Amino acid sequence: MIQTLAFYLFAVLVTASATMVILSRNPVHSVLWLILSFFNAAGLMVLVGAEFIALLLVIVYVGAVAVLFLFVVMMLDIDFSELRAGFMKNFPIGVAIAVVLLTELVLGIGAYRAGALQLGAPTGDAVPIPGRGNIDSLGAVLYTDYLFLFEAAGIILLVAMVGAIVLTHREQKATRGHQNIGKQVRRNPDEATVMKQPEVGAGVEL
Amino acid sequence: MVDLSQYLPILLFLFIALGLSALFVFLPMGVSRLTGAHNPDAEKLSEYECGFPAFEDPRSQFDVRFYLIAILFIVFDLEAAFLFPWAVSLDLTGWPGWITMMIFLGELAVGLAYAWKVGALEWD
Repeated sequence: MIQTLAFYLFAVLVTASATMVILSRNPVHSVLWLILSFFNAAGLMVLVGAEFIALLLVIVYVGAVAVLFLFVVMMLDIDFSELRAGFMKNFPIGVAIAVVLLTELVLGIGAYRAGALQLGAPTGDAVPIPGRGNIDSLGAVLYTDYLFLFEAAGIILLVAMVGAIVLTHREQKATRGHQNIGKQVRRNPDEATVMKQPEVGAGVEL
Repeated sequence: MVDLSQYLPILLFLFIALGLSALFVFLPMGVSRLTGAHNPDAEKLSEYECGFPAFEDPRSQFDVRFYLIAILFIVFDLEAAFLFPWAVSLDLTGWPGWITMMIFLGELAVGLAYAWKVGALEWD
């Protein structure tokens, strides 16, 4: 009973907020609706028993990806009224892309229903471990059977990181002297101060 | 299906957090409205001496370095997210799982060392 209720609540909210993502005029509002949609998708994941995926949705998508979207949206200096002006001109292209996507969707679902290809058929050797949670079962296969894919994910993350640094980092001249911590730590009183016995009238050589 | 009753504490915490945050926002407003004199004028509402004009277009372009920080945050956020299933399933995966994660951490440590060396972590 409560599961059905929760499912319909989350499903209605995720559909409504996803609709608002494409309907809202302000792109910042779109991103905020997208965050609401992510949250409700996480609720749906909890309902099907994938707690780790739900937490991942909240941590990664809401916490990081949505922030990135906000940055991108706010960094672009776009005149939105000018963008909307070419609606009729771009309308045929938009319809063409929509038709292509719809056709692909129909073909994909049709091919899946036909069942001729057994590409993604589950082998059943990754059954949930009895007495352990969802996260345990996932970890048990992720770090043994799929470890090469996992390391490849690490490489992809590394490439993304280096790429972002290369694209956005500007080497600017140091405006003020940079701290050399090693040099500061190596300083000792004997070398830092020098005793001088200047003669009268001769001055001090520094 | 999942036993949803074990999520009841989270729901309770959610309600408590909601109530507390609403309290923090509206209680000072209400108290100040009830106890203080409320007669604003243009000078009182204006920013004075050291403030920014409060109302302007928020769509100002800002530094691309914020974006770089966000990307780095995503990468290490994912790394932390991968650590959770690894930590709880370590008795099932054993040494191979441990070594796998160490290699993964090593890959990202290379990235961190690069970012540090290039100076992407410095702000000034």
